[in-house]
Amino acid sequence: MSDSEARTAREEWGSRFGFLMAMLGAMVGAGNIWRMPYTTGQNGGGAFLVAYVLLLYVIAVPGLMGETMIGRYTNHGVIGAFKRVFRTRSAQGLGLVVLLVNVALMSYYAPTIGWALYYAAHSLLFTFTQSGFQTTAFWQGFINDPALVIGMHTVTMVAIAGVLVFGIRRGIERVVKWMIPLLVVALLAVAAMGLTLDGGMEGVAFVFTPDWNYLTKGSTWVAALSQALFSTGLGWGIALTYGSYLGRYDDVPLGGGLFTAVGNTSIGLLAVFATFPIVFAFGLQPSAGSNLLFISIPKVFPKLPGGGLWGVTFFVSFFFATFTSGLGITEVGVTTVTEETRLSRTGAVLSVCGVIWLLGIPSAYSTTFLGWMDYVCGSFGLPLATLSIVVLVAWKLGPSRARVIELNRNTGVYVGTWWEPIMKYVIPVVIVFIIAYGAVSSIGTPNQSLMVAGLVIIAVLLAASVAVMHVIGTLPDATAADGGGE
Amino acid sequence: MALSTVAWVTLLISLLVVPGVALVVLVRSLRTEDRKLELLTEQDAIDEYSPRALADLRQWIRAHPDDPYADVARSRYDECVRTLREIDEPYYDWSEDQIAELELFEEDE
Repeated sequence: MSDSEARTAREEWGSRFGFLMAMLGAMVGAGNIWRMPYTTGQNGGGAFLVAYVLLLYVIAVPGLMGETMIGRYTNHGVIGAFKRVFRTRSAQGLGLVVLLVNVALMSYYAPTIGWALYYAAHSLLFTFTQSGFQTTAFWQGFINDPALVIGMHTVTMVAIAGVLVFGIRRGIERVVKWMIPLLVVALLAVAAMGLTLDGGMEGVAFVFTPDWNYLTKGSTWVAALSQALFSTGLGWGIALTYGSYLGRYDDVPLGGGLFTAVGNTSIGLLAVFATFPIVFAFGLQPSAGSNLLFISIPKVFPKLPGGGLWGVTFFVSFFFATFTSGLGITEVGVTTVTEETRLSRTGAVLSVCGVIWLLGIPSAYSTTFLGWMDYVCGSFGLPLATLSIVVLVAWKLGPSRARVIELNRNTGVYVGTWWEPIMKYVIPVVIVFIIAYGAVSSIGTPNQSLMVAGLVIIAVLLAASVAVMHVIGTLPDATAADGGGE
Repeated sequence: MALSTVAWVTLLISLLVVPGVALVVLVRSLRTEDRKLELLTEQDAIDEYSPRALADLRQWIRAHPDDPYADVARSRYDECVRTLREIDEPYYDWSEDQIAELELFEEDE
């Protein structure tokens, strides 16, 4: 086999289970565990769930179907997919936007995985159940030690590179096939334990008692829209990238769309059962974010029978959730760099992980910087990436062509014409609304200058990416409309 | 603390429409893909479109004969029809009458 043939030979997932677990693992992250329970409780409990589940089925499921479909159709990563469908150099800039947003996202997500790894390691050492253990002091001691946090960030990126270098089947698939089932079992076990605690059911009541008045509040629907759109990983390029490794006979809508979106939310619900009974049973503050996980929850373990082992179960599973997302986010870059440069996969893994490691140092050094990155990426970068992919699927390839030619090919569930207006109109309108709502609602708040900076950054990112790809982009060899999924 | 009736209802519906659906979809997805593998091992090919999906494809090709993607669509349509004529056991729910009625676009030209 010649070198060029070797480079164009493309891996495929080894098993259906492996693909489904990889998709689930990539989309389930820290947000499912530390944000969804709190967001649900703060926005009317059951009322929020009604709004969220409705939007999940109306937006996230069809959106993920479209994104996975374009990956299988083109058999390419983010830049290659834009290249093959648009067939212009400038439009590949939109693919570059998706790639750069992923790299930026991973640059501050990697230190977060490092935090989870640090806590998972200490849970294995039974640190949290030692006498005199102080959770706040432990957290402050860790997060205010730049060498330690950067060290954990480094270990994280080395571990991710160590998996990705083995490729899709022998790397990602081999890891997620046991990490995700273990994550589910661990969350189930913690939930079962939590529900047996005195006062544990109060946590369940907090989340599931509906306050229907919340359905009339705009903020509830915006929170549900954001959760449905972005916690499912729609438009990040991960579904596109993982979909590009599907075989021609693989189904897209059932696994790539429905299972990924609903499975991801199922883990979020499991997290509700795993965290909130404990939080209420021990009178902790049900706050969102890292404080809940790294300060509040560890206080509980010394008070539980077999608390050390519960600590292991909880923090190791949290690490699995974050690590498998890290694999998905980084693979977007690795696949693209492998295809668009002369680097081998190993070279691409080392380059992408090296760049992410370097860019992640400021976020590892300063949680304030990490917060800024999270705000800019979450409020503007990810919506722009999602919009780019929607433009590719619904406005260039076209929803009708996409559905009849590719989406319903080898499908496990027939997708009707209802899918077309959702892809073409509903999802883009929702994204633009969320960007605008985020921008307007930050006026007059401390985030105002960050919002302006965020808008400027995405405008510059878009213009620069289009300009760069106009100069360095290449055109595909194949005829106009052929998909790669043959 | 006991949950109120409405909280129980919300809880149960949430479990049904989220993890319940996820579990059913997981099992269905694994089973259908196993079935595809089985058929591919036995007969080397499977029909790639269901009767409904192939009808959509046919309608679209007739409505957009000069579309840039029409050639890809015609080629996939014809490939599916040929496969259906060759294989013993279709993957989708095709009847023999339905298969007999199918025509290749290639034959029309």
